[in-house]
Amino acid sequence: MTDVFLLILRLLLIVLLYLFLMQVVIAITRDLRKTAAISADVAGKAPPVVGHLVVVDSGPSNVLPGTRFDLQPQTTIGRGPTNTIQLTDNFISGEHTRLWFRNGVWYVQDAGSTNGTFVNNQPARDALAAKLGDIIQVGFIRFKLGA
Amino acid sequence: MASLSPGPLRRYRWKELGLLIIPFMILLLEMIQLPIAQLYQSTLRTNQLSIPFTPAILPTIRDLIPVLGLIAALAAMNMLLSFFFPKADQVLLPLVGLLSGIGVLMALRLGPEPLVRDPMLGTRQLAWVLFGLLICAATLFLLRNMNWLKRYKYTWALLGILLVALTIVNALRVKNLNSPTHDQLNFGPLNLQPSELLKIFIVVFFAAYLSENRDVLAEGNIRLGPLRLPPLRQLGPILLMLGIALLLFLVIRELGLALLIYGIFLSMLYLGSGKLSYVIGGLLVFVALGFIGFKLFGYIQVRFAAVSLDVVNWQNWSQATVDFSRNGAGQIVQGIIALSSGGIIGAGFGLGHAGALVPVVQSDMIFTALGEEFGLAGLFAITGIYLLIIYRGYRIAIEASNEFDQLLAAGLTSIFAIQTVIIVAGNMKFLPLTGIPLPFLSYGGSSIIANFIIIGILLRISHNTALERAGLA
Repeated sequence: MTDVFLLILRLLLIVLLYLFLMQVVIAITRDLRKTAAISADVAGKAPPVVGHLVVVDSGPSNVLPGTRFDLQPQTTIGRGPTNTIQLTDNFISGEHTRLWFRNGVWYVQDAGSTNGTFVNNQPARDALAAKLGDIIQVGFIRFKLGA
Repeated sequence: MASLSPGPLRRYRWKELGLLIIPFMILLLEMIQLPIAQLYQSTLRTNQLSIPFTPAILPTIRDLIPVLGLIAALAAMNMLLSFFFPKADQVLLPLVGLLSGIGVLMALRLGPEPLVRDPMLGTRQLAWVLFGLLICAATLFLLRNMNWLKRYKYTWALLGILLVALTIVNALRVKNLNSPTHDQLNFGPLNLQPSELLKIFIVVFFAAYLSENRDVLAEGNIRLGPLRLPPLRQLGPILLMLGIALLLFLVIRELGLALLIYGIFLSMLYLGSGKLSYVIGGLLVFVALGFIGFKLFGYIQVRFAAVSLDVVNWQNWSQATVDFSRNGAGQIVQGIIALSSGGIIGAGFGLGHAGALVPVVQSDMIFTALGEEFGLAGLFAITGIYLLIIYRGYRIAIEASNEFDQLLAAGLTSIFAIQTVIIVAGNMKFLPLTGIPLPFLSYGGSSIIANFIIIGILLRISHNTALERAGLA
């Protein structure tokens, strides 16, 4: 009789081991679904992209020409971590340039940078309107404004 | 009154508690089976009569004390985590708890066996696991700030080198490099294996160094044919650390550790730089080094000869092969026989013979004993548990918020993964057998403590990440 009892214990052990594995896998899958839902939420709340900046001349920086940056209705460019577009270049100030989109027109204004912001080579100390195709220079990096 | 507010109850780690229930049942089940199985085997040895099944052969509550203690400790850990680190990962503790519980049970079971002859083995393993849980909690509390680990990276490297030096001195003092204990340090009654802590120091140092020099390393400015190598100045400190560790372990014949450390180095370099070419270059260097080692050291040749042994075809062995399978490769051959005699559902816990036939079954060869008693099905489940721990570790690394935490979590998980692969493959004759412990299952205090430190760091990183997420949301 004892050997039958031992056999039952043996089979029970294997069943329990696999039940445990199944339970863990279910818990993990549920976790993954939850994080996926949260990140989808965050993506849904993200501000819409209303334009692009394309690098045409990278100047002394290591940004590759042709790189596209998304523009939100309110966009800041600079070296600091709070900016919408972060550029790590010695000639870019912590908060360099602000761009905003109002009534179908882009406005560009320097945010008190050291090396200045230019729209078609005009210094943008005050807000300047910019059309699609205009060249916007941030420090020594030149971008083309695109839709 | 905390109990009046819904906060603590809602924050309680119910998922973890729920996942702990089946492990508790498994541990109790095995503890009930152990004395019956031992009685059964001893009766079989003396007379062939089958023993009747009466309630008298069931163990009393006193026999269950070791496992009840472990269950209480795991439940206490669950409570502690709920109060202080409610957002830490909830899956790791049940997985690790089950593995270390099986480890304690195996030590209890193998202690009285003829090749082990250490009746206190299980008690000591239990004490180590309880102490390990304490250390894990202490790690969680101490690592309030991860930057502390990062800032003192050279201190950790220095401590690592010190540990290596101690090991070397000890190995030279023992002189007999073939004795299995030549890599231990003896402090009174404690046998410490410094290499277990060394691997954590190495990973912390690599993670801190790589996260600081990541940009330069990722560029790779030295060209060597089709391969691009990282600049030597940035790679220098890492190569130095690696060289010291590798050389010394080859000198004192710790092949497994050399393999483990080189594996960690390659995986962390890949994680840090994202360049496959570094890994390919590293593997080429490894093959070259391995070939030189193979030619230079006789003991490596013996290990490889054991791998090429054709066990299935044993009837056609020549006399030389038979001699070799008894002496040089005896451990592996006995291990393989134990594995194969387990079959699919195994002989049953406490009913195998690995403890009487496989040398060093309690630590290096524990996988074969598990294979004999739990069978192929049990081994698959145990491998599954390891896979889930590793998956969870990399998941924590992916979600971590800064580079150092990411590299640290991924590196620690890599240790765990590589170590498991090396020793399991060694036991199954896929790789040369090397004397490193199977995490959480092998007997050995240093290994248990080091692995609990790893789990503590992983839990802390996941808690920090979740806190930061909650702060941002």
